[in-house]
Amino acid sequence: MRFLLNTGRTIIQGSNVEKKNSHTYMQEASSCHMNPVDMMILDIEEEANILVRSRFGEVVMWAIPDTGMARGEVFVCLGPYANYVVSAETHCTGMPDLKSTEVDIEPSKEEVSPLWRLMESLGGYRYED
Amino acid sequence: MRIEDVVCSFCGCLCDDLVVEVEGKKVLNVENGCKLANEKFMGNSRLKSPIKRVGTKWSEIGLEEAIETTAQVLLDADRPLLYGWSGTHGEAQSIGVHIAELLGAVIDNTSTVCHGPSILAIQEVGHPGCTLGQVKNRADVIIYWGANPIEAHPRHMSRYTTYADGFFLKDAFRERKVIVVDIRKTETANIADEFIRIEPGGDYAILSALRAIVRGKGDIVPRSVAGVEKEQLVRVAEICKSAKFGAIFFGLGLTMSRGKNKNVRNAIELTEELNRHTKFTISPMRGHWNVYGSNEVFTWISGYPFAVDFARGIAFYNPGETTSVDILRRGECDACLVVASDPGAHFPAECSRHLASIPTIQIDPHINATTYLSHLQIPVAVTGIDAEGTAYRMDGIPIRTRKVFQSNYPSDTEVLEKIYQIIRREIGP
Repeated sequence: MRFLLNTGRTIIQGSNVEKKNSHTYMQEASSCHMNPVDMMILDIEEEANILVRSRFGEVVMWAIPDTGMARGEVFVCLGPYANYVVSAETHCTGMPDLKSTEVDIEPSKEEVSPLWRLMESLGGYRYED
Repeated sequence: MRIEDVVCSFCGCLCDDLVVEVEGKKVLNVENGCKLANEKFMGNSRLKSPIKRVGTKWSEIGLEEAIETTAQVLLDADRPLLYGWSGTHGEAQSIGVHIAELLGAVIDNTSTVCHGPSILAIQEVGHPGCTLGQVKNRADVIIYWGANPIEAHPRHMSRYTTYADGFFLKDAFRERKVIVVDIRKTETANIADEFIRIEPGGDYAILSALRAIVRGKGDIVPRSVAGVEKEQLVRVAEICKSAKFGAIFFGLGLTMSRGKNKNVRNAIELTEELNRHTKFTISPMRGHWNVYGSNEVFTWISGYPFAVDFARGIAFYNPGETTSVDILRRGECDACLVVASDPGAHFPAECSRHLASIPTIQIDPHINATTYLSHLQIPVAVTGIDAEGTAYRMDGIPIRTRKVFQSNYPSDTEVLEKIYQIIRREIGP
């Protein structure tokens, strides 16, 4: 099922922005807020894992029911999980389409990757304090 | 020790009324701060010493070696990119621009993925803005458009708008009308007097419709525009026209949605239209605490607010070409210095992939997504906690941040000054 991905700030994301290797940050940045009716149609339970796929990449997140969301739209706070499926095309403005990426969503049995694994998949290496 | 009037270096509000209790090198308590401020001051997740990666192995190194390596990587690069800057003080930003000029590098700040499009619009049609003090004391109509201050700027409403009594508004909560325009029902929308819920990408059409109604051409507006009933738009236009003083605050809902800079231009032109009837202003809700400062500092040195390319020996500015996301997408830069920012978390994955493939060096107090993409990281003091310097509030007011304790970390200025001196020595006069 196709959705429009919107991104933005949340206070939990902001509170943990300097603790990006924390579990709380990972949980918040990988939370995909969806309209409960859309979740029901897709047979996705609350806090179940989902695969979010666009033309530019795919990443596992977890679904959060949110009655503030319109049908067909999903919200993920700004961060590495949302950016995993956003194109780097800027249409000559310097700004990617961070609020208007089309994604397909389906239930998934895969686990949500911690931040370091996400960065390793892009060529980085984990650092442990 | 109890320190009063401490400036919070988190968001563009730069609240300057915090009371911080300090013991040695630890903040024990923060009063007056929002959740973001409390977490910032009370946080203890600093990187302890400079780290360097060779292959897959990370190891700690000395500060002087880290600084020397950074300078050498930048000197060896053909097209270095210096990115970030919004999370540090103006004095450090200034050294950054001078390093870029010496190297013939591109220097860009985080505006590129926040209010860069707003700057493009302002360069086209100007900025009818004002200080937050004016809003607090005078504005009886507030519009938040594509912005969610409850989550992103938690004290904006209590210090300057909805809940802040002002000189001409003795009972702000009752006397001010708050209008929220968004595509989703946010916490901010929940407390609005009027919530305009628009379809995604509908901002430009709604702004155009409002301009037409304010201009007296409402008869050409269809019954519904981008999911909003004409009746509501007429009602909102009337609220705006009958305001004594109106203030529009807009967020990334305008700059990141379809239309981007053209959305902002249309919003500025709506403001201009409203000024034919009453006093109206418009201002961006700046995110990083000193992103406005990075635009100021870049402009007074190079003439341009972000995305400045010195490769030609003079400052060149062409957003879409000299902006970081575009340079990384094209795989153009062969080294990157990241200062006080986290592009690994906030750039599209394709850009992060390129950052991981080149020598990327980060100057930042904390471990973040960019750490994993980097080859070297130098931890520094946090401005507003153990470093001080000048910052610009979201309305362009310079505020001096304070140091609440002395730590062993060097400041951004100290590290960058040393890098500058090495590069200058190598390149020559």
